[in-house]
Amino acid sequence: MLNRGKVTKLADIFCNLSEAADSNGHSLKKFHKMKSIKQQAALIIGCAIFLFAGSTPVHAQQTPKLADDEIASVAVVANQNDIDFANIAKKKSTNSEILQFANTMASDHQAVIDQAVALVTRLKVTPKDNAVSKQLVAGAKKTQQMLKSKSGKAFDKAYIDNEVAYHKSVIDAVEKVLIPQAQNADLKNLLQQVLPTLKTHLEHAEMVQSRIAKS
Amino acid sequence: MSAVRRIPYALLIGFALYLAPGCSEHPKQKAYVPKTDTVMISQMKFQPAELTVHAGDTVVWVNKDMVVHDITQAPVGTWSSGPLASGKSWKMAVQQSDDYYCSIHVVMTGKVVVVNDDR
Repeated sequence: MLNRGKVTKLADIFCNLSEAADSNGHSLKKFHKMKSIKQQAALIIGCAIFLFAGSTPVHAQQTPKLADDEIASVAVVANQNDIDFANIAKKKSTNSEILQFANTMASDHQAVIDQAVALVTRLKVTPKDNAVSKQLVAGAKKTQQMLKSKSGKAFDKAYIDNEVAYHKSVIDAVEKVLIPQAQNADLKNLLQQVLPTLKTHLEHAEMVQSRIAKS
Repeated sequence: MSAVRRIPYALLIGFALYLAPGCSEHPKQKAYVPKTDTVMISQMKFQPAELTVHAGDTVVWVNKDMVVHDITQAPVGTWSSGPLASGKSWKMAVQQSDDYYCSIHVVMTGKVVVVNDDR
């Protein structure tokens, strides 16, 4: 049902659209530095929208294309990615606001994973790998490599820029794809409970991003 | 009227004067019973975000979210609950108005307003 090539191609399209939308006033150099961050972010939206709309047969438009076990997998991977980013920040940054934000990300996203694991255990469901979760893992590896290649203020900027973009994308995917497609009421409720946390993270990240830009 | 017969009248008037102020002050002497108010921490917000209480009232914060929060006086942190796990609560007798926030999620803010009125 899922075509990896199509998923990647669509994600690239979303990446390009995202870059084009934000390119005004940016130098070409800065434009390319942002690419891996935006690719990671666009990947989530691209894959999710592809799965939600692109693969839905005309005769069965109401049929969800991500099963609950696949949604659970996507949720766990998306949270684990941000924990991994936070762990890199905790090792590399000396900025107190970055460290505080990273600690919060690690703690909060672990709490979400714990809730998701408790739920699937109760439901006797095993999170199932799928094209979206695999692409998320692959995208996160590239982001981790990018983050590890930087240091000092450049690292702080790259980390918090990624956090802003990542949370925007995850919020979009949760609102537009994961919640609408979740069949189990408890899973849907868990995703709805997670949304305010993600939005608070985004607000926090934007605040830190603004302060770092001024420093 | 002899001095001896005037004494009971003087006692009566004196006793009445003694009682009168006491009667008028009786409502003010009624002890105020502090109340307890609750602030729910839910969906990453303090609800209500602003709470009005009397000095001596107790405020209980209950964490209904899945993540850890705290309640910390703003801006300098003169008091703090410390980490408050999901499902846990923390209470404090409030004596003065204060702004507060969650030092873990710094965009979460709240306020306790203490009013002093005739009780």
